[in-house]
Amino acid sequence: MTTPARVLIIEDEKQIRRFVRVAVEEEGCQVTEAETMAQGLVQAGVRQPDLLILDLGLPDGNGIDLIHNLRGWSDVPILILSARSRENDKIDALDAGADDYLIKPFSVGELRARVRALLRRRSPTSESASPVIEFGRVVVDLSRRLVTREGETMHLTPIEYRLLSVLVGHPGKVLTQRNLLREIWGPSYSESSHYLRVYVSHLRQKLEDDPTQPEYFLTETGVGYRFQP
Amino acid sequence: MPIDTSFGEENVSAARRIALTVAACAGVTLLATPLLGYLDLANIVMLFLLTVLVIAVKLGRNAAVLASVLSVLCFDVFFVPPRFSLAVSNIQYLVTFVVMLATALTTTHFTSVLRQRAQEAVKREQRTLALYQLARQLAGAMTVGQVLDIAGGFVLSQLNARTAVLVPDDDHKTLDPVQFHGGLPIEVHLARIAFESGELVRNDEVRAMGYASLYFPLKASLRVRGVLAVAFVEHADGPRDETLPLLEALASLVAVALERLHYVEVAQTADLKMQTERLRSSILSALSHDLRTPLTVMVGLADSLFLVKPALPPAALETAQALHEHAERLAGLVGNLLDMARLNAGDVILRREWQPLEEVVGASIKLLGTALDGHPVNTALDAALPLLEFDSVLIERVLCNLLENAAKYSPAQTPIALHARQVGSVVEVSLLDHGPGFPGHRRNELFNMFVRGQAESGRPGTGLGLAICKAIIEAHGGTIEADDRPGGGALVRFTLPVGNPPSVEEEPS
Repeated sequence: MTTPARVLIIEDEKQIRRFVRVAVEEEGCQVTEAETMAQGLVQAGVRQPDLLILDLGLPDGNGIDLIHNLRGWSDVPILILSARSRENDKIDALDAGADDYLIKPFSVGELRARVRALLRRRSPTSESASPVIEFGRVVVDLSRRLVTREGETMHLTPIEYRLLSVLVGHPGKVLTQRNLLREIWGPSYSESSHYLRVYVSHLRQKLEDDPTQPEYFLTETGVGYRFQP
Repeated sequence: MPIDTSFGEENVSAARRIALTVAACAGVTLLATPLLGYLDLANIVMLFLLTVLVIAVKLGRNAAVLASVLSVLCFDVFFVPPRFSLAVSNIQYLVTFVVMLATALTTTHFTSVLRQRAQEAVKREQRTLALYQLARQLAGAMTVGQVLDIAGGFVLSQLNARTAVLVPDDDHKTLDPVQFHGGLPIEVHLARIAFESGELVRNDEVRAMGYASLYFPLKASLRVRGVLAVAFVEHADGPRDETLPLLEALASLVAVALERLHYVEVAQTADLKMQTERLRSSILSALSHDLRTPLTVMVGLADSLFLVKPALPPAALETAQALHEHAERLAGLVGNLLDMARLNAGDVILRREWQPLEEVVGASIKLLGTALDGHPVNTALDAALPLLEFDSVLIERVLCNLLENAAKYSPAQTPIALHARQVGSVVEVSLLDHGPGFPGHRRNELFNMFVRGQAESGRPGTGLGLAICKAIIEAHGGTIEADDRPGGGALVRFTLPVGNPPSVEEEPS
């Protein structure tokens, strides 16, 4: 990589900032820190970071508002740091457009893996350019609406295909149930989450080796789903 | 003032009324006799009719009938020739008598009907006024006791009767008398019938023994809120017909007042519960945040020692690793304690959704990852399992705790089995391992807090994991039990009720 990626950390606890900084720098990134939401928003505008690491429990305001604000003018990947008790905050943040989350306490290894995955999406070569997505023994050709497994064409229903294309279109990103329901069925279905679960189950049965222990279409319990290529 | 007494009529005794009537007729006869030469007989008849009218107004129907007959007799004896004899010289006077009697009786009839109407109207007005007052007082009542006092006072003053109110207990099984006015005896079976049927029950036989004879259901908009029992003491002949509508009106006013108080109480309880809930969850979440922040720092800083350049000596890195592990374990314990506090503090708020069981099984295995310590998990879920309604985060917690336990106590590399099948109206999930199994005699104590299988075991733990599982499963209406695996090892089995899964239409493909 010629230019190092710029990462902005918005976190009020100094010691957490310290080790997050060390871990992210280890990935070869340039780090900027902000202690408050107000500072963070200014820095995000000035620095134009490639990745934003945001603690949801900031003292001077709601991190979700920051995400809404940011999503108005930037699609920078956002990684949320959250305490487990704030389940709804986490879902709201992901609904608002955050990409992934880590539950405190988390290890440096996990953090580095998430940072790497989110930064990988930044480089245009890996994504969007090619309409063909491969994972395991499955090949999805979005241009031809063709799904094969071990060279054999898989028959998907229209909803299964739509679900698959939304999931593979956001590799690594946590998609909340609300997001997926809205994308696939439109706003009127937002209450019938069991439909979503049933179709994800169909997709796993057709594309996963062991549908009870999936490798690619992962459940984020209580939150939604993630496609992990 | 009891409304049964009215006007002057009943204050005048019957004998006195007869005497007055006779005196009036005699008076008119005496008055008219000197006028005999000046007035036609027809006009003297008019004087008698006037007298009958006045008596009808003043002394009522019976006196007026007597006056009618007396008037005809006096007229015949003292005025119609031959005088001082009942005999009549001219036969046409018979027509006069008949017309006179008929006119007098007709006057009597209409006058008394009018009198009665007027009395009824006055009574009705008094009652309406009393009911208005009652409604106003009931609207201001703040307690059930006040409502009953007001109602009891109303019945006592208006009907001179005694009342008691019976209300059902919380589970609607028995009726309890809330209040006695002077120890009014109540036939509870009759009250029960009124309560259950929602109809008035009247039994005049028990009245003779001093029991309340009328039982009005207190019908409010949603349900019958109790029974109003009424006993008439003063009237030996029981309640009059017109008092029933009054009592029915009273019963519905009391019912509405009781219902209002009930909803006030419900609203207050709900409000209090909400405040308690909010306080509890904010305390827990603050505690959780305050404990987790230093733990996050410890885990993260220990990890970052591995990134120090140049690399630290191996002994230092070993220390860093130990720091990391212990901080993580501490975080796990704190998590367990906070969860237990949340689950134990009363009603668990479940975010139940219909979903396939396999989803949460897969997520749990994935989440545990390295914590499974190389134990493979063999899942065998029946293909035809229905959708289940559960809180996925909590059931994931149960599965993680059970899988972690199994991994912790099983010999290295041995597989853990996870089976699920439908048995009648529940889905049964079993976890089987190849560990030493549970100590037989205290097997089910393990689900209590802070109880561990092997107290001196070197393995870390607080004995909260299974207690958390039990709290979660029971909140879902299921059961959890420990057993021995046939052929050695431990078996934990829990159930989740099937319920009524929503249908999912197959998509036309």
